[in-house]
Amino acid sequence: MIQTGLIPNAHNDLVTDASYDFYGLRLATCSLDQRVKVWQLDETTGSWSLEHDWKAHDAVVSKVSWAHPEFGTILATASFDRTVKVWEQISATDVDGTQLNGTSAGTSSSTRWIERAMLVDAKGTVRSVEFAPQHFGLKLATISSDNYLRIYDCLEQPSLSSWQLTEEVDVLSLPTATPSSRSNAHTVTVATPTQSSTTLDGNSASLVAHALQQQTSQSQLPGRPGLGTREADGGWSISWCKDKYWGEILAAACGVDGIVKIIQVFPSRRPSTLLSLNPSPSNAETTKTAATSGGDSEASKAFAITSVAWAPSCGRSYHLVATASRDGHVRIWRVKPPTPSEDLEGDDADGTEGKWSASIVGDFDDHKSAVGRVEWNITGTILSSAGNDGRVRLWKMTAGNVWRPAGHISVEQAEEQQGEADADMAVED
Amino acid sequence: MVTAKQTAHLVPPLFKQGAADDFRQSGRTLSFTLSPRDLQISVFASPNVLRSQGIVSPGSQQIFLASLQQAPLSERRVFVTDMSVIFAAVQNLLKASRARDTQLLQSEDVMQALNKLANDYVNFCKECCMYASRDISRPEPLQFDAEHYRKLYTCFSLFSVLYLPEPGFEDVPIGDELMEWLNTHFIEPSTQEGDDLSSQERPWEDPGFWSYLTRTSLRGLSKASAFFLDVLGKHPSTYLQGLAQQLSPLLTNHPRLHHFDAERDFAVASRRWKDKVKTLRIELDRVPDSEREDDFENWWDRFSDIVGILEGRSEVIKKVCTELGADWKEVCAAWGIFVDTRLRRQDLPDIVAQILDEMPPDPTDREDTIHSLLFLGRPTQALSEAAQLDVWLAAHLADLMEPIELIDADPDDSELTLRQHYILAYAESLRADPALWRITVDYMYSCGEIGREMGDQVLMRVPLRLELPEDAAAAGEEATRIRSGQLVGVLKDVNEACFEYQREEIRRSVCKIAAQTFIREKEYGLAISYITSAEDWPGLGRIVDLVLEEYIAQGAAKFAHLVANIAPSLHNFGADSVARLHAPAVFQHRLMFAVRFAEFHQRRGNGDWPGAAADVVSMFREETAPKSWWAVLLCDAVELLQYNDRMLFASNDACLLIQKLEEIQIRVGQGCGDDYLSVLSRIAHGGEKHALQRLQTVRLALARYYARCGAIGVGGRPSGWNY
Repeated sequence: MIQTGLIPNAHNDLVTDASYDFYGLRLATCSLDQRVKVWQLDETTGSWSLEHDWKAHDAVVSKVSWAHPEFGTILATASFDRTVKVWEQISATDVDGTQLNGTSAGTSSSTRWIERAMLVDAKGTVRSVEFAPQHFGLKLATISSDNYLRIYDCLEQPSLSSWQLTEEVDVLSLPTATPSSRSNAHTVTVATPTQSSTTLDGNSASLVAHALQQQTSQSQLPGRPGLGTREADGGWSISWCKDKYWGEILAAACGVDGIVKIIQVFPSRRPSTLLSLNPSPSNAETTKTAATSGGDSEASKAFAITSVAWAPSCGRSYHLVATASRDGHVRIWRVKPPTPSEDLEGDDADGTEGKWSASIVGDFDDHKSAVGRVEWNITGTILSSAGNDGRVRLWKMTAGNVWRPAGHISVEQAEEQQGEADADMAVED
Repeated sequence: MVTAKQTAHLVPPLFKQGAADDFRQSGRTLSFTLSPRDLQISVFASPNVLRSQGIVSPGSQQIFLASLQQAPLSERRVFVTDMSVIFAAVQNLLKASRARDTQLLQSEDVMQALNKLANDYVNFCKECCMYASRDISRPEPLQFDAEHYRKLYTCFSLFSVLYLPEPGFEDVPIGDELMEWLNTHFIEPSTQEGDDLSSQERPWEDPGFWSYLTRTSLRGLSKASAFFLDVLGKHPSTYLQGLAQQLSPLLTNHPRLHHFDAERDFAVASRRWKDKVKTLRIELDRVPDSEREDDFENWWDRFSDIVGILEGRSEVIKKVCTELGADWKEVCAAWGIFVDTRLRRQDLPDIVAQILDEMPPDPTDREDTIHSLLFLGRPTQALSEAAQLDVWLAAHLADLMEPIELIDADPDDSELTLRQHYILAYAESLRADPALWRITVDYMYSCGEIGREMGDQVLMRVPLRLELPEDAAAAGEEATRIRSGQLVGVLKDVNEACFEYQREEIRRSVCKIAAQTFIREKEYGLAISYITSAEDWPGLGRIVDLVLEEYIAQGAAKFAHLVANIAPSLHNFGADSVARLHAPAVFQHRLMFAVRFAEFHQRRGNGDWPGAAADVVSMFREETAPKSWWAVLLCDAVELLQYNDRMLFASNDACLLIQKLEEIQIRVGQGCGDDYLSVLSRIAHGGEKHALQRLQTVRLALARYYARCGAIGVGGRPSGWNY
């Protein structure tokens, strides 16, 4: 690992999110300063220059997401002003009548960014926005501190002005696993506390009761947005499943329960929870007791998930979903979709009614402090995480199928003198 | 070291050593994002807890850029590129062999070819090592030193000796080859020592003499041995003189396997030779104790050690090696020459294990560890160590190990085989330089379904470079040629890769993206061409709509101009080709209309009045024009109706136009204005009212025209027409 450069004065306040475009030739950044900036890479020199810079929202911009280039050059931004905006880059010669934003900086004056749509349904701060995989068309998902997952479909493509809210679901009130129509057991994930990778099944009798408990306990938790401490403790994050085979599936984490729900959305049915990823399911019981007794039980406090990332599956039959938690843990879940069963009884029309299961294949607390972000590379082979310890850590799978730490990048001052920092760039034996 | 340095500290640091708490309390945490293009990562300080208002603004924020691994540079880049050619040859060989359904290990041809390819790898490592050791001025400094390439050379070469012998030689004693390997890579004693000793009158007085002679004997360097045994002719002791004379031919005529055609002959010769060694031993034992030393050394002991080696006494060999500072490799090689001349490959693991018990490898020396694991027949562990040294080594060894069944070809829980794991790890490292994408995907595509999809991810992200740069002068040949419809440059390369590896989906995705760029530039012809290639019918529909929008927005004149650019591509479609597309009917119709409408306006623009008129008529007769465009078409036809020089429409055609006009007006009267007048209303800028006014003009023109038809002739075709 070596440092290759620096963008010295990127924003006037802390940067909340950064995202490379599909080709990695542009970088969009957003910040507490309410602005979005788009930087362009000079491939010959490797340096980045500011291409566009504009005030995107009236409050903190929390996230920025690029659409797939087959739809054009499009960005979506999520903000604390409770809106999501969709932006498009057009050539400056287009006379559109639409409000022109994106005052150009630098040399590229032939393009502009203009606001195409503003989505105003959120009742809380919008924490995340992500475009769906391109095979599902031009659509995006958002999650906000009102605990709602919202999915929007672009109705009119070249114009991008009309977006339909096709799904609006309260993540917390979704069951931890939607009971299937068959009476067979369905799985709720229970994780082992160590790094073993056994797949565990639930049993049906207690599961329905369990699910009900979850629902009641959660509805008793004060989860209203705007309550200072709650919002600060909470985490809201989404990540699309990148496959097209299984349908439109997202991982969503909401609030403070530390649970990630794998949710499937359908065009003509209510969404269902395929399974939940819960590292300590016993919390459900204690949370209920805790809620009724009016306080958090110290022994089994759940910690918010700050970030969830679904790896591109690249031909693997299993999925990898990573979570970052305030409890300092980075977890890698191996999520297995149902295998098509040989003994179809005829009532299983679509394979998705089968069992989804998951197990933890990596559980790391190397950060020793809250972890704020996890992200996969495009082949799903390297996971990165960043935490309060001021380090970005890498995780890779060894030849023996075991996830291990693979180095880190730190912003802490090195033990050597400042002047010797360049020595880090040299190749060492 | 090729595997990435495990940690990096970014500068300027954001907090002092041990002050992570301060960092956190200042409301900050660290965040990042990974680039899809290469192994770059952007790192930045981020708010610890998101509140609606920030804390006191910390001022100007920077973004750090780092790379998880260095891109291959300088000599390494050449190394990587050239090695990929050999890799491709291996893949082709194996593919061809599998296609013939031959059992690899039993096919002499294939094994011969593999052997040769392994040697290619070895030779290239050697060349790289030699290049790196030369003290010359280079345009760029070396990325890795000669020592590194030397290690790759020794490891790959050992692998080749142990596991990829020439066909027919698998079962043959291995002593010669091992010694040759040792002598090639770990030269002892040094030439310097030899030179020093040979310059002396009485070299036996030098403390290093006997070690030197012992080593040359051990290593089979008979010329050097003979030279110094000759010099011993001047030694004061007559006993030694005699013994030296006896020893010399034993060393120079030591039977070696490669001297013989048949192993049996070698065995016979070896036995005879051993007998002579026995004779020498007897002679040696006759030397009285008092005569066994000179003023410098107990020469008898040293000489006895040499004879002990020749006798094949393992404890003598081990003792000698230890004294010489030689390691287990030397003992192993000597074993196959002296102790057991019939030592075979399959015997090695046991013998080596025993030797290693007494003379373990250096655990801090990774190269040595790899050697020991290869000798011990532990390929999986060898790969693991090799990956630590250089993932290139692990990948290319694994690639050869799998077909010869040294490692398991079954995937494990990760759904990758061991070979795939290492090759993909290597390919990932190449991603540090996106310009190497062709090589990266070549490696990835050789790794099963998972490798293919990973390769897709890389292939899709190769920037197509379709945009025209700012100043047209620098537009360059490529961009121009692409716009003239040729497939060139990156687009061509990516397309070729898609065909070569049968990645149809990727090809389509790339076409869709290309279409998007062309839409932005209003190069609709190219956009249509690419989107059709992608078989994206809804996308095609959208482009057709955009094309027609241009007419509505820009008017007929500008539309005709735009259409002039489309014409070549659309012409390829024409009426017939459109039908040949596998598009759903609705899209075919829309495209057909766009094509005809474009042709109509082109003809108008070129003054081809009869052709234009024919277009109008056919668009109505063949029901190509959608209802919403009838009114537009009729308005555009007015000019033709009013054309004085000729009657452009037959009377029955004129009737048709009148019928259509009637239909419009009736339907509008019934409230279906939207269906028939939506487009004309937009063009007329005044809504339905103005649209209807326009139609009045049409009505008048048609009426006049029809009247002229009647005046000139009765029905059918009036005279003066030429079709």
